[in-house]
Amino acid sequence: MRFVLSRLGYSALVLLSVSVLTFALLELSPGEFFDDLKVDGRVGSGTVEALREQAGLTDSAVTRYVKWMGSVARGEFGISLARRSPVGSLLWERTRNTLMLTAPAMLVCWMIALPLGLWMARHRGRLADRILSTGSSTMLALPDLLVALALLLLALRTGLFPAGGMHSAGIDSQRALDTLRDVAIHAFLPFCALVIVLLPPVLRHVRASAIEAIDAPAVRAARGHGIRGWRLTLRYILPLSANPLISLAGLSCAALVSASLMIEVVMSWPGLGPLLVESLLAKDVPVVLGASMLATIVLVGGNLLADLALFAIDPRVRT
Amino acid sequence: MKRAVTVVSVLVGLHLLILLAGFVAPYDPTTQVRTLPFAPPSRIHFVDAAGIFHLRPFVYASAPDGAGDYYVEDMSVRYPVRFFTRGARYSIVPGIESDVHVAGVDAPGRLTLAGTDGYGRDVFSRVLHGARVSVTAGLLATLCALFVGTVLGTLAGFTGGVVDRIVMRAADVFMAVPWLYLLFAVRAALPLHLDTRAAFLLLVAVLGVVGWARPSRLVRGIVLSAKERAYVRVAEGFGASPLYVLRRHVLPHTYGVVLTQAGLLVPQFILAEVTLSFLGLGIGEPEASLGSMLGTLQQYHVLASYWWMFAPAIALVAVAAGYHALTSLAHDRARLVAS
Amino acid sequence: MAQRLMRLIGTMFGALLVSVLPLTAAAPAALFTPGEELQVERAATGRPGGRLVVALRAEPRTLNPLLVADAPSREVVGRMTGDLIHINRLSQAIEPALASAWTRSKDGREYTLTLRKGLRFSDGHPFDADDVVFTFQALLDARVASPQRDLLIVGGKPIDVKKVDEYHVRVSLAGPYAAAERLFDSVAILPRHLLERAFMEGTLQEAWTTQVAAGAIAGLGPYRLKEYVAGQRLVLERNPYYWKVDANTRRLPYIDELVFLFTGNEDAQVIRFQSGESDVLGRVGADNFNLLMKDQTSRRFQLADLGPSLEYNFLFFNLNDLSGKNLPQVAARQRWFTDVHFRRAVSLAIDRDAIVRLVFKGRGVPLWGNVTPGNRLWQNTSLPRPARSVADARAVLKTAGYSWRSDGALVDRQGQKVEFTIATSATSAQRTEMATLIQADLKELGMDVRVVPLEFRALLDRILDTFDYDASVQGFGGGDADPNGEMNVWLSRGTNHYWRLGQKQPATPWEAEIDRLMQQQLVTLDIPERKRLYDRVQMIIAENVPFIFLATPHVLVGARADLGNFQPSVLDHYTLWNVEQLYFKSQGRSNGR
Repeated sequence: MRFVLSRLGYSALVLLSVSVLTFALLELSPGEFFDDLKVDGRVGSGTVEALREQAGLTDSAVTRYVKWMGSVARGEFGISLARRSPVGSLLWERTRNTLMLTAPAMLVCWMIALPLGLWMARHRGRLADRILSTGSSTMLALPDLLVALALLLLALRTGLFPAGGMHSAGIDSQRALDTLRDVAIHAFLPFCALVIVLLPPVLRHVRASAIEAIDAPAVRAARGHGIRGWRLTLRYILPLSANPLISLAGLSCAALVSASLMIEVVMSWPGLGPLLVESLLAKDVPVVLGASMLATIVLVGGNLLADLALFAIDPRVRT
Repeated sequence: MKRAVTVVSVLVGLHLLILLAGFVAPYDPTTQVRTLPFAPPSRIHFVDAAGIFHLRPFVYASAPDGAGDYYVEDMSVRYPVRFFTRGARYSIVPGIESDVHVAGVDAPGRLTLAGTDGYGRDVFSRVLHGARVSVTAGLLATLCALFVGTVLGTLAGFTGGVVDRIVMRAADVFMAVPWLYLLFAVRAALPLHLDTRAAFLLLVAVLGVVGWARPSRLVRGIVLSAKERAYVRVAEGFGASPLYVLRRHVLPHTYGVVLTQAGLLVPQFILAEVTLSFLGLGIGEPEASLGSMLGTLQQYHVLASYWWMFAPAIALVAVAAGYHALTSLAHDRARLVAS
Repeated sequence: MAQRLMRLIGTMFGALLVSVLPLTAAAPAALFTPGEELQVERAATGRPGGRLVVALRAEPRTLNPLLVADAPSREVVGRMTGDLIHINRLSQAIEPALASAWTRSKDGREYTLTLRKGLRFSDGHPFDADDVVFTFQALLDARVASPQRDLLIVGGKPIDVKKVDEYHVRVSLAGPYAAAERLFDSVAILPRHLLERAFMEGTLQEAWTTQVAAGAIAGLGPYRLKEYVAGQRLVLERNPYYWKVDANTRRLPYIDELVFLFTGNEDAQVIRFQSGESDVLGRVGADNFNLLMKDQTSRRFQLADLGPSLEYNFLFFNLNDLSGKNLPQVAARQRWFTDVHFRRAVSLAIDRDAIVRLVFKGRGVPLWGNVTPGNRLWQNTSLPRPARSVADARAVLKTAGYSWRSDGALVDRQGQKVEFTIATSATSAQRTEMATLIQADLKELGMDVRVVPLEFRALLDRILDTFDYDASVQGFGGGDADPNGEMNVWLSRGTNHYWRLGQKQPATPWEAEIDRLMQQQLVTLDIPERKRLYDRVQMIIAENVPFIFLATPHVLVGARADLGNFQPSVLDHYTLWNVEQLYFKSQGRSNGR
């Protein structure tokens, strides 16, 4: 219990420091949201000043940070400069859509990577392992944007899949079953792109950890006793490599809100990606700050969960 | 062992190719030939239009046809491929300059092995020169990340207690902060006149330094477990100084992890530049880098129309695969040593 | 005079005013209120029904007409609202809209507008002069800080809008103003009954965000809000009370539903169109346009190259007064930049044809002035257009005292090597491409130029505030064809007077001359006289080259071949300006895969 509490305390401290640092960096970088109005010949400088004052940008940095904290306490996470509505609700809608894409992709990734990685480790150095290893390192070197675009091109040429978005234009949101089918069809391509991007690193880690475990004395002993095949893998190798893999799974949680950003932009998936890219370029500070906090919460939460899981299964950690 | 030789020689070959970019590339990477935008790779012929076989390979000059979207070869003049020709001046390392190129054809023929980009610049030459910038940047950033990461990770793991906690919390923070804005701020503080490549390398180095968190965690884990080993305890018991123990017994265990990370980070930092150049933080025109060239490839019309623009992706995959192979080699060796 | 002009416009564009429409058998089941003063669009006869899908490049930021500042919001809000007097996007001339007629006083400072009678907002509430007065009251309120406010400040004072009676309003200007009718274009008339409360409470700027409920928003446009799905799409439905009818007295618009999809960037927008998921494509780049051309027949598009746009791209040097700044290096380089010969030589050395060919894939025209050939009414066609000549450029530099070192580098009188940077926005690929071509062009003059792409806001920071830059490539224009839209660029105290900002007094005699001419054309009501004045402005600019004009791209748009009455224009709202007249030629055609 004390372990959990102290970890929670640290997590809160991390969140606070991240918010201060992010805010400070945003302050340091040049330019401001209303700059593009200054370029608009139709808008005078007085109006821009009035808009800045309205948005509270004329206050000092400290005042703005304190105000932002107050807004966090109210659950608003600031007011978006571009949309003039609370960041909290803006992010919440988008996060749901992002998770709809990333959670299944992550799950599938692990479902492929675990057995495949273990199998590759056991057949290390054979042709199949070599091919798969080379393949995965090749895939590691592909930018996600390129993967997404290539898949879109495929969709266009074959006409089998919709070329982006989450719903068909004419879908009736009242009919739940149709909507579900529609979303599933639209999600397929971004889902594939995401799996292609996420799989290689996980696969490599699973394989490496499994190789580590295979060479461990316990496994050698088991093998000496004539235990082979999937029984050896499941009963001996997997538990031994569980420790680093659980840590990795904790880190994977962070990818839940960050891995799909560029894919979402290219495939017009209404997740965090398009909002964040737009806000980043427009310097919509509250949205960027809110999104960073969200990413931190997920990261810290994932690590916390991993620690708790380790605490539960690995007695060595409990000291 | 045979595999090790292959991997190492392939990597060395790749780097030699990149280092000697000026010599291997037939053209200067920034020279524009405005009559030949997006021209496909020149075809190397042995048999001419009349059906006569030539021992020395040759190319034909090509010219855009009508609307300009495709090119036709002008079969009237042959441009034989010559070796060790003289062309644009280049330098291999500062001080060593030359104008001899491995191969080339006489002007106005063009030997474009990987086609041209939108300005009619030779993509093959740009990939070689760009790889030089990108690999340098990737190595530099990796070095920064690993150096800071190893120092802090070792410190945390070896000292333990409060220091450990502070460093690890800081690592959590560093992993979550959007450093992009730091780069914006740094870029704004730099004078515009700074050499394009120098400015770029500086930004990448900053990116490397703030990327210390992940390697430091891994190093700390290794140090922690190494510290607990029996022989380390014994050495301490014999009164060995902490520094000696660290150097002789603890640090050697981290080499494997550090090498593995290096192999992963180099391609990762090269890829990071794709995003950087999109945000105006990449290398400026007309210089080339793999990242900025990949950025061009990500424009839909380029991706859909000009297959040879994939050349930087292929180069990146080759470099990345080389480094990955090296790390798995290092991994195997580390395990051999450990057992 | 004004009346005659009015009638001329009326006959020219088939907009016929009728007081009461006969309810013939052919009329559809739409509800006509007696006394409703509808506008007849003669050109339009189409088939009703269907759903039109349009992919936008980004999500609109607001649905509040008072706050619109970004292109997607402008596009969407424009479909849901109506204005008093409208600029016809095809003819670029004014035509009646919610105001069926107007008169101008002799001194040109007072306008009396006659509103159409019996119209209703999209929620069924009647429209009258109170709504108009309220709209201008809200728009001109400094607390609201509407980005449109400054357009309505004439002669230093906000325009004054007073109600005469239920269907007449009087607009007074502080000074005479040429083309004052154009001020009313795109000023959306707001429903007082829905917004007055928010206005009184001072919360108008928080009203009608993208999260507004469909029932709480209404306008006088052809469409009204049906559903907004955050991050995905905006669905508009036909406004049953819209005030235009076709030649068969069928109430417009034809198409039942208008869906805006939000995509992340131009590529995504193009892909959606190519795959058939959207029906109309707003402006795209020449690269993507050429790509689509290959599929034109197989995928049944109608693609249109409308010729030169109104926007102009230019290179400019930093001529700002740096006395208060600590920028010795930039100040030293200003020695060259302030020399008009230097700027002329640079202009002579730039290969504008290459820019058109390589950046715009041939779909553009080179420029030597700020008014493009797309603006037929105002372009000064007698401007000199010297062909590119490196030899001429060298001769100009030589007479100005520059010379060349043995390695080919250009040096000034003091022996200083000429080297500078061109800063561009990294997000604008085309301008960076132009700079890259210029860099190579100027190399032939012995100038050592570096292109530095910067993040957009970081670049603006340098151009507008810190003045820490040498030169940059930027673009302006695309809004209105009238010279008044350019005031902020050419007036020496204008906020877009990029090369030298914040001037209290004109820094040079020619800038003073431009100030005088621009102010004069602003108050001149006679069009040929205005044209003469503006021609002179264009000539002075061309002679003194504060901006080195490069090229303008063509306006490139597309739509499904099936879409009828598709008449894209080179002005903003390129494709959907006549959305009420668009229709699907084949029966039952609607996009809803």
